[in-house]
Amino acid sequence: MTALAQPTAANPRPRNRPARYVLAAVIAGVVVLVMVANSLLDYAFLDTIPGRTSLYGLIAVALIALATFIGVRAFDRDPAQRSRHLIRAGVLLGMAALLWLLVSDAFLFAASAGPEVALICAAACVPTTAFGLLVVRRIDRNEKEPWRLVLVAAAWGAIVATSLVIWGESYWEAIAVRTLVPGPGLDASRAFSAGLLEELGKGTAVLLLFLVMRNEFDDVVDGIVYGAAVGLGFNFMESLTYMTNLYSIFSPEGSGGIAAGFQWYARQVLGLFMGHATYTAFVGAGIGIARQLPSRRQKVIAIVTGFLVAIAAHFSWDAWLTFFPIETSVFGLVEVHLRTIVMTGPFTAGVVALLILGLRSESVALADQLRQEARAGSGAVLPEEVEILTSPWRRFRERLRALDRRGVGAYLRLARLQAAQLDLAMERWHRERQELDTPLEAEDELRGRILSLRLQAAF
Amino acid sequence: MAAAQRDPVVTLYRTLLVYGLIGLVILTAGLVEFLHFEPFGVTAGVHAHIAGVYLYDPSTSQTTGPDRSMFGRNEQFAGVVDWSGLPNSLTVQAIWYDSFGNIVGQAGPAQPSALGSHRIVPAQKPNGLKYHLPGQYIFAVERLQGDLPVEVLARRLVEVQRS
Repeated sequence: MTALAQPTAANPRPRNRPARYVLAAVIAGVVVLVMVANSLLDYAFLDTIPGRTSLYGLIAVALIALATFIGVRAFDRDPAQRSRHLIRAGVLLGMAALLWLLVSDAFLFAASAGPEVALICAAACVPTTAFGLLVVRRIDRNEKEPWRLVLVAAAWGAIVATSLVIWGESYWEAIAVRTLVPGPGLDASRAFSAGLLEELGKGTAVLLLFLVMRNEFDDVVDGIVYGAAVGLGFNFMESLTYMTNLYSIFSPEGSGGIAAGFQWYARQVLGLFMGHATYTAFVGAGIGIARQLPSRRQKVIAIVTGFLVAIAAHFSWDAWLTFFPIETSVFGLVEVHLRTIVMTGPFTAGVVALLILGLRSESVALADQLRQEARAGSGAVLPEEVEILTSPWRRFRERLRALDRRGVGAYLRLARLQAAQLDLAMERWHRERQELDTPLEAEDELRGRILSLRLQAAF
Repeated sequence: MAAAQRDPVVTLYRTLLVYGLIGLVILTAGLVEFLHFEPFGVTAGVHAHIAGVYLYDPSTSQTTGPDRSMFGRNEQFAGVVDWSGLPNSLTVQAIWYDSFGNIVGQAGPAQPSALGSHRIVPAQKPNGLKYHLPGQYIFAVERLQGDLPVEVLARRLVEVQRS
């Protein structure tokens, strides 16, 4: 029986929106409510900041006004293109919210050292964070996630997650310092606060991606990529906070630059992957594994376990950091590295182990699906292409060959063809495992697109 | 059934569960640590009295001015404790924590009667620094069991301003 002749979808669902969208809407609603509460509190605390807030606020207001206009038009005047207008309105609303949150964050976290220092610190963190995102995206060697989603994940970590946790942590701190005995007990309480609130804030992004962008969330590998991207975004904003804060503390002592530079190294080099990226990668891994589990009970357990490991890993760093004091000597430089490797290294190794297992399982499955597709004779995958498509290196060599023969255009066309062929194999894999809620026609459309891309690649 | 056992997702799931178990152990250890340093229901039923936090003159070792809750980084300040209301059966200390959680001033631990000459407890600047760290300082009068502080008998929060 050929793939084209399969009678029904493996896991047919009604054509209306799946139930997970309702859950995503509820989570998004909660996030919006928290953001509104944060904005009100920001307003109360930021009312002394002149001009600049109003300036950025005006842009946000303009975006909201434009979004409202487009939204109203979608319903009143142009029903034929309603969905497109609604998407535009949604994007504008999202941009307005992000802009407002970014402004709030910038003032909340970086105001202490002044805008110039904050800009320099941000400029120092951009290349390292960009490098981190590049690496994280590339580890998904079979099917790279779209940049737009990786960047959305990082932006959530930097802007939304930090905004979600700041007031929660502040209230926790205010209560703890008034009720607990200062010392290790208070430190443990703060570590619980950071682990719990920050991982919930970051993990919500991965959960929403899982619920809304199911087509781009295939398995544990994708979960790790999105989770790490959220963590890198969060790490960016946290680095900025610590760098500016310590600069402002130590600049009167004449060592502000050194303090900020040390924070940059500790967080953007040493802790780039061994920190927030690792913690939230566990959340992503849990969600990615849940994506492929058959029963709802197992899915819930996997997601909860991912969060649990992330919280525990984060907690262990914050709570037990003081057990590894750093000497103020040259040996202190060695100790800083050892401390990170000993305390976070095992967790990072745990994520890498899940990643390797996931990549191996994904590669085997895709190879199998590509072979089946080639045997089916649809023309979407040719038998001689299977070995090439299963090897990232050979795919790259083929693209280089196309570049050499016909230029950049040919390289890009072949890259699109290969990506579509791997998409098809992934689609087949999910259908075989009964993990899809899209109709079978989507698979056939993909085959048609591949044939069209093949024609383009030939010229 | 055999196919399900070979499913690599099940291997991933089980691996994650093992990690989860380790995570649970870590969080339990954290909870035990918290309860060890913050034992519930352990109270002596007494309260200490902090007379106030004042500007401090290191040359005379005396406080001046009114009770304040905010200081500049370049100002010296000290907490003043009235030890007289505490029973002598207790071991107590007065202690300053800076905004990084470092101990920057201390009187005791000792019996309250032995601390009569240590009413004024200044907050010291960290070693090697010209100014106090900015942020929230905690001044606490603590009761100890053995070497371990188990209860805060009085507490004042002081803000050291950034500029």
